[in-house]
Amino acid sequence: MDGLSEKLMEELNSATAFTIPIGNGVPISMSLAVSWGIMLLLVVASIWFTHNMKLVPSRKQAAVEMAVEWIYKFFTDLLGEEGKRYIPYLGTVLLYIGLSNLCGLVGITPPTKELNITAGLAIMSIVLIEAAGIRAKGAKGWLKSFAEPVAFVAPINVLEIFIRPLSLCMRLFGNILGGFVVMELIKLVAPVLVPLPFSFYFDIFDGCIQAYVFVFLTSLFIKEAIE
Amino acid sequence: MGTLIAIGAGIAVLTGVGAGIGIGIATGKASEAIARQPEAKGDINKALLLGCALAEATAIYGFVIAVLVILFLK
Repeated sequence: MDGLSEKLMEELNSATAFTIPIGNGVPISMSLAVSWGIMLLLVVASIWFTHNMKLVPSRKQAAVEMAVEWIYKFFTDLLGEEGKRYIPYLGTVLLYIGLSNLCGLVGITPPTKELNITAGLAIMSIVLIEAAGIRAKGAKGWLKSFAEPVAFVAPINVLEIFIRPLSLCMRLFGNILGGFVVMELIKLVAPVLVPLPFSFYFDIFDGCIQAYVFVFLTSLFIKEAIE
Repeated sequence: MGTLIAIGAGIAVLTGVGAGIGIGIATGKASEAIARQPEAKGDINKALLLGCALAEATAIYGFVIAVLVILFLK
């Protein structure tokens, strides 16, 4: 019991990767370093995929165009025409969370198992949702929308501003942490071959589903806010 | 003390029962709906996914509490 709890604690406390030598030194945690790596990968990949685009697409360009079109179609179905301007952000978050969840496959601890990172993503989502509401309805209409359908549910509507990001952040964090802990336990019991099918479920399937659910819920809330 | 903590963590994880029943019912109904109207598959899948994500959140909360119980009650 003590050994397990110590190991869990060790996994929860993300190690310091390196320190930026400014002032007293700014410690950079492992998960932040990994997510910078993912961002760098995404930026480099998107530059590589989109340089010298032609009217008649090459094979590489056709594949990327298909992927982007799929993302646009998926979000347009959810958001409608007036929500199209939020698609680039949502697509980026989808790619980022998806890659973060999948990087457990190559032995890097997924940054989304850190509560701070999922909390950051959730706060960005709720700011975007409320900003979309203000933009679509105006400040007055946005304030009024709290008193719908009847005035006395207003406290519940206000509470929702805090509950939504909390639930978004906890869902992603809990799922990835849960998968991570189960994988660690399986690796302790049987380190060879047995973790393989479980890794398929926890790393690939669950990781993709959670990335999908996160942007799906965010776009659903945006749709509700701009309606 | 250690046993009590283990029992507490076990009780917290019992939230999984509710999530399991909920997701089971939702999936069963979704398959029924798809069998009745295969052309509405896309919409049904979306609603099912949303419902599952919300139902599953309760299990996740239980799990988070269990982990917290193990980690912070020594």
